[in-house]
Amino acid sequence: MTESVKPVASTWCAGCGDFGVLAAVKKAAAELKIAPHDEVLVGGIGCSGGIHNFLETNGIHALHGRLLAQAIGVKLANPQLTVIAAGGDGDGYAIGMGHFIHAFKKNASILYIVMNNETYGLTKGQPSPTARLGYEGNIENPFDSILTALSIPSHNFIARTFSGDPKTMTAVLVEALKFNRDGKGFAFVEDLSPCVTYNDTFKEWREKVTDVAKLPGYDPTDRKAMFRLCLETMESGKIPIGIMHRPANGEGAADSLELKLLPDRTGPARADITLEGNRAAYDKLLQRLT
Amino acid sequence: MTTPAARTTPFVAEASPAKEVPSKELTDVAVMIGGQGGDGTLTVSDQLGRYFRKRGLHVYSCRNVLSRIRGGHADASVRACRAPTAAMKPEVDLLLAFDEEAIEIGLAELASDGLVMYDSTSFQSKVPNSFGFPFAMTAGSQLGRPIYKNTIAYGAISVLMGFDPVVARSVLEEKFGKRGGEALEKNLKAFELGRAAALERPELARRWTVLDGDAHGWVLTTGNQAAALGFVVGGGRFFAGYPITPATEIMEYLARYLPAFHGVVRQAEDELAAVNMIIGAAYAGARVMTSTSGPGLSLMTEGIGHAATAEIPIVVADCQRVGPSTGEPTRHEQSDLSHLANLGHGEYPRFILAPGTVDDCFHMTADALNLAERWRLPVILLLDQALCQNTVTTKPFEMTGVAVDRSNFLTSGDVANLPKYAAYQLSENGRSPYAPPGTPGVLAQITGNEHNEMGHVSVNPVNRVKMMRKRMEKMVHARNELPGPHLFGDASARVGLIGYGSTFGPIREAQAELAEGGVPTRFYQARTLFPVPVDTLGKFLDEVDVAYVVEHNYTGQFARLIREALPHHHAKLRSILKYDGFSFRSPEIVRVLRGGPA
Ligand SMILES: Cc1ncc(C[n+]2csc(CCOP(=O)(O)OP(=O)(O)O)c2C)c(N)n1
Ligand code: SF4
Ligand SMILES: [Mg+2]
Repeated sequence: MTESVKPVASTWCAGCGDFGVLAAVKKAAAELKIAPHDEVLVGGIGCSGGIHNFLETNGIHALHGRLLAQAIGVKLANPQLTVIAAGGDGDGYAIGMGHFIHAFKKNASILYIVMNNETYGLTKGQPSPTARLGYEGNIENPFDSILTALSIPSHNFIARTFSGDPKTMTAVLVEALKFNRDGKGFAFVEDLSPCVTYNDTFKEWREKVTDVAKLPGYDPTDRKAMFRLCLETMESGKIPIGIMHRPANGEGAADSLELKLLPDRTGPARADITLEGNRAAYDKLLQRLT
Repeated sequence: MTTPAARTTPFVAEASPAKEVPSKELTDVAVMIGGQGGDGTLTVSDQLGRYFRKRGLHVYSCRNVLSRIRGGHADASVRACRAPTAAMKPEVDLLLAFDEEAIEIGLAELASDGLVMYDSTSFQSKVPNSFGFPFAMTAGSQLGRPIYKNTIAYGAISVLMGFDPVVARSVLEEKFGKRGGEALEKNLKAFELGRAAALERPELARRWTVLDGDAHGWVLTTGNQAAALGFVVGGGRFFAGYPITPATEIMEYLARYLPAFHGVVRQAEDELAAVNMIIGAAYAGARVMTSTSGPGLSLMTEGIGHAATAEIPIVVADCQRVGPSTGEPTRHEQSDLSHLANLGHGEYPRFILAPGTVDDCFHMTADALNLAERWRLPVILLLDQALCQNTVTTKPFEMTGVAVDRSNFLTSGDVANLPKYAAYQLSENGRSPYAPPGTPGVLAQITGNEHNEMGHVSVNPVNRVKMMRKRMEKMVHARNELPGPHLFGDASARVGLIGYGSTFGPIREAQAELAEGGVPTRFYQARTLFPVPVDTLGKFLDEVDVAYVVEHNYTGQFARLIREALPHHHAKLRSILKYDGFSFRSPEIVRVLRGGPA
């Protein structure tokens, strides 16, 4: 056996919500028997983004806000890899917002987990885009990722989970990863992942989270219905969690970016680039010049 | 076109004009076509270029357009000559003007014995040696659409320059034959209308004869196309970019070429995404590139530094234009070098390569991929607008000299034989072999944070020093692998010229003119700009008394880098600078070397 990199012990504060995500990602990968060398974890910048160091898998630490662009690059270069991007709410919804919106539209089969703690943990507690009014002097309205995600017409998997409920979270991640591995497209999971140091919302969130699947009218294939359901839940002072959207059976079956580009899943990283293997094709290409 | 008879008789027989002036033979001719954007100045330039190429001539053409699709002055110039060229002729022989403004602008470029042909539909020119033809009016009345004025003008020029009408027609047949039917028929008619009109002017007909050349089999291309092709043959398979003049065509060509090779081209949402997408793809093991220009380069800067520290091999083609800010999007400059040499916060290695010809663009793009992967760092391909977009005839690209060097890449077989795999293993020369994700049996952690050999974050001061040295010293150890200069001219000359990028063409022509005038020069065409090639450049400077660094910027950016790297040669260096948005013309260089003002 060739010795290579091993996970390090986590550096998170005791009780940090991100531990729930770490545990759930491990369990989901194990359940799906994903070989560690075939998995890539793209971490954002923030406390949450350090997760790739704590997992027995390949990791790449992206720039702040750019993890989705890098993760999509990885997936398109080698569609056979399981690609998980994971970072914070500041990373994803502030500095990375442009890529966030475009990721739904692009629809590459990667899983994106945002650990939402309504704050910037690593830089010590400034308001993030999801921070509520009044938090650390915040006077801007909080952003809601699920409503935004539901508004983008694309064949994505959209869900919200809660770190305080790792069992449900694991189940959702398994579904999301299956969606990816079937080449169906982008899976987005926002995990409510409290920052116990700068914004401890554990107790409040435990009381407020509401599983949408148990609400009347739940139908994750119907965006309109889910938008209304989520909005009404929020208006009643609760936080909707659960699978918010997945395409109906058969819908958007091969709508993922990588399958549109690379139907046989052999991507740029696995292409034959030897001169011998391409001699005839290169000659033809150069002959196109006149 | 002046008589009703001519208008209704498009196909006139070859008639010998009454008083024929003896034809002047030309071996080097340039035509400038000016009008409003949307007038189709490029159409005439294209038709002339195609004709000249059929006559075995070398062709160089450029365009001057504003950054909008319609309206505003636009012009295109085409040069044909018997000797290979990579520059526009200093003065044009013929100015074809579709409006009055085009005459005003074009006169500055016109040779003293040059001619003007213009569209007299709405004005009469008093400029000497100008010949008016109602191109637009004739096109409208005879062919139903004023845009055929282009081909009418082509017909008139064909008479002036003594073109073989059969060959001149075949240009149109090839160009419009595909579209069939009406387009071809109308263009042929337009051509004949133009011919007939010119044949009626004895002082014009066959005034010039452009002599044939022997450049048969040469191909027409641009630096952007050559770079795209070089990327493919160098094993490049992933490209992400964001549209920006003058870089966009690289993306457009690759969008056509790459799908046949399991390659991917993506137009990203911005340059931040573009550079980070190629970083992700390179991490996964693909050979990658992005192309951009000034404003996009600024946005990519963070990513380029990240790639250097995380040791991810990327190639960034910077197609320079006038900066800063949006500057002049369609105009030429070489003013990004200082930025690139110091690119980003912190300190990190990078190679800056500067192709000077389309052939360089082809081969050096492939080289850049090898160098990036071998040394795991960003390689900048420094291009400029003229090199990117001007079209030039060149010998067909040859695969000799193209190599795909994957010696830094570990396969599963390689890693199985290693006791240990560390993505950032320290080594003598700073290189660490790399196994991409998906390689069975091994894992890697890749990060832009300072890290230890395994890729774990580390702020240990001893490790920091080791890692800094590992990365920075790549620029020393790789020195002999970087593209060497091309040297031209008289190897014993005491006067040197130093240039890079598209100044290659004007410098070569200036050298020829100077040699004729008894001033021998030697030319160091720098193809690696950073790290400054101190060995070859130092030797060059040792052997000359004075060296002129020719570049398109205000501050003499390359000269400054040379002074910093070779301070003892400080006093020998002079700068010849131009930053008005246009390429050098050889006389601008010649004048300075003859003691004129810079
Ligand atoms: C371009 C850039 N700007 C700012 C920073 C500093 N920075 C590091 S993490 C962070 C915010 C992290 O918040 P979030 O993404 O919510 O992650 P968390 O720590 O809460 O998990 C910021 C602003 C940076 N690394 N890069
Ligand atoms: S600061 Fe907050 S987010 Fe960061 S590790 Fe500690 S608890 Fe978690
Ligand atoms: Mg946060």
